[in-house]
Amino acid sequence: MVKVEFFGIYRLSYKMSSWEVDAHSISDLLKKLSKKFPVFTYKELKNSVIMVNDVNFLHLKKYKTKLCDGDSVFIMSPASGG
Amino acid sequence: MATKLGAYAGKVLKINLSDQTVSEYPITDDDRKKYLGGKILAARIIYDFIKGPIDPLSEENVIVVSTSPLNGTGSPSSSRFNVSAISPLTGILTSSNCGGTFGLSLKRAGYDAIIITGKSPSLTYLEITENGVKFNDASHLKNMLTGQAQQAIDGKSGKLVIGPAGENLVRYACAVSDDRAAGRGGIGAVMGSKNLKAITAYGVMQQPIYNADKLAKLKKKWTKRLKSHPLTGKQLPMLGTGALLSVMNQKNLLATKNFNTGKFEDFRKISGEEMAEKYLVKNNGCITCPIRCARVVNLDGKNIKGPEVEIMGLMGANILNNDLKKIIEWNYELDELGMDTISTAGTIAFAMELNEKGMWDCGLSFGKVDNITDTLKEIAYNTTEVGKKLAKGARELSKMFGGQEFCMQSKGMELSAYEPRAAVGQGLGYSVANRGGCHLNAGYAVVLEGLGLSVDPYTTRGKAQLAIMFQNLMEGASAGGSCLFTTYAFFPFFLMSKPNSIVTKLVNFLFPYFGPVIKIANKFPDILHLNLTSMLPHPVAITYATGMKYKMGDLMKAGSRGFNLERLINTKLGISQKDDKLPKRLTDEEQIKGDKRTKVPQEKLKRQFYKGRGWDENGMVKLSTLRYLGIDKLDDDPIYTRPLEEQGVVKVIAPKSIRKSIKKHIGS
Ligand code: SF4
Repeated sequence: MVKVEFFGIYRLSYKMSSWEVDAHSISDLLKKLSKKFPVFTYKELKNSVIMVNDVNFLHLKKYKTKLCDGDSVFIMSPASGG
Repeated sequence: MATKLGAYAGKVLKINLSDQTVSEYPITDDDRKKYLGGKILAARIIYDFIKGPIDPLSEENVIVVSTSPLNGTGSPSSSRFNVSAISPLTGILTSSNCGGTFGLSLKRAGYDAIIITGKSPSLTYLEITENGVKFNDASHLKNMLTGQAQQAIDGKSGKLVIGPAGENLVRYACAVSDDRAAGRGGIGAVMGSKNLKAITAYGVMQQPIYNADKLAKLKKKWTKRLKSHPLTGKQLPMLGTGALLSVMNQKNLLATKNFNTGKFEDFRKISGEEMAEKYLVKNNGCITCPIRCARVVNLDGKNIKGPEVEIMGLMGANILNNDLKKIIEWNYELDELGMDTISTAGTIAFAMELNEKGMWDCGLSFGKVDNITDTLKEIAYNTTEVGKKLAKGARELSKMFGGQEFCMQSKGMELSAYEPRAAVGQGLGYSVANRGGCHLNAGYAVVLEGLGLSVDPYTTRGKAQLAIMFQNLMEGASAGGSCLFTTYAFFPFFLMSKPNSIVTKLVNFLFPYFGPVIKIANKFPDILHLNLTSMLPHPVAITYATGMKYKMGDLMKAGSRGFNLERLINTKLGISQKDDKLPKRLTDEEQIKGDKRTKVPQEKLKRQFYKGRGWDENGMVKLSTLRYLGIDKLDDDPIYTRPLEEQGVVKVIAPKSIRKSIKKHIGS
């Protein structure tokens, strides 16, 4: 299972801080997430900041980044500022 | 001096507390065009009063409370006013921006600014109305908390008050208006040193607007943009600045254990998300603000103001505390006691490390939270030896006990919660900011380097120019009266809402390479003779409100003039390149061991900054720069020597008791 944690507007919108899912890639994970909780569409989720085991997925293989059992994924709001 | 411009009240008052005289100060429309208002106008006024270093807690110090042209025009997020003085924490100029109602009330009373000099012989509060200034006995307000004091002063007026910390001269005491603070640099202590507990302002004067129709249309568009921008329309209203904390942690930007690292294991427990879920009642905001970034939280059944990200980080990760409830409690207490949250937290973290290293047995330890509430009171009321020492700030502690290399301050001001080894442009900003280690006066490059965009946080390329550009922009916007958060809407939406797109990646990659182009615009802002109204409505709003023809370049030039003017004042107070520095921990120690990029290459960045600013190697503003900005002959034209068109004699009313004590004090 992959542990997904939500931050920013995602956490407030999903009304949960984390979720566990069986997913083999980021794109698979986002699809499953949008299907299970249709708060955000798959397309909208593609605009989130995604960290896989603390590394921004842009430095990995983006949506094709492979996921394994025990991996940690953060889904964060795109704009921060403060 | 009356004004022909719209949106200005046209009057500045000089109030001498020592002899209770009040006179009009001869500011002209030329000054208004050059210095706008807020912190820049305040710097221009203070320049004339400062000949060399002074004791900031003596009656020689001058406080300038200044409003701005957009205050009172109903422009979005533009109700902010400024308080400036020589800081007792740093010994140099400080300016503090505040979102309370006092500024607006001052303008309604008919004044753009007030200049406070001298020292009252006994605790007093000033009542400013359209009819003049009344000096009131404030002995009944003595030692009152800021909330109590505001309640005790009756009426519909706007108020600016200090708490016990200000009265007891804590060097980082703040002044409070409603529940908003003029926080940094010890304005509260300067008021305390003058025996000035509070100032109130009330009036119903409405300044005419140069082109009210056009301004009304612009305000609508501006509000719409702020509301639809991902940052100002979604993130800040929903989560406040607290939303940043998790992102900061992810990017090694969250100052942890007195800036030992940039990551805190327990960051989730003190995050903005946690606050929104467990404590948030509603969001709140300064008047006329559609963003409403402030929080109202519920603490044990009582609705109070919630903390900002800086205090969440500094009273959380930086002292290894994972109890958010405590942070909320301390934040509230600090406002009530009247102490700057950032400096208090920074000083405590430094004391904890001194204790850990066996250099000062002060009873404060990382992760130990049960004695903090008492410590805050000991500082504010100066009741214990530890409290008295902490009340002087981190730099003074380092003079007593050593540890300069891990004393997290610059020019005497404690750093904010952003760990600059993971954002070197922010590190540069901290070291050269005019008021000391302030994240905003620094240029807030961390927004580009990780919080908003993802420009390479470690490269030095272009960083000095970007810092200068944002410093100028924020100085200008602030002097116009706008909240700095309005400048975020400057970034095109897609850069924020589509962080994974190729275009965003490309912009992030290319941003540092724009350095040479930005350098030219920074040096000669006049070339920006255009307006990008949707991205940066500020100069257009200023034009419609006042009738002055402001373009983007004029705003940036005013900002640059303000920054350089503040530097000139600091130069008179002894500041040079030797003072533009960070503690060694940040410049000599890698944040991530073995990764050479993770320290601030201060000297290299500083050199680029000086060149970009038009300063010499010693950090002095060059004459050519002063000439270009039109501030090369200030010494020939002190404002106070100018004749007043009409000598405005302002009515002064003081109770007998105060008159008597003044007579005794000045011996006449
Ligand atoms: S964004 Fe926040 S600080 Fe700025 S004016 Fe609005 S409420 Fe005040």
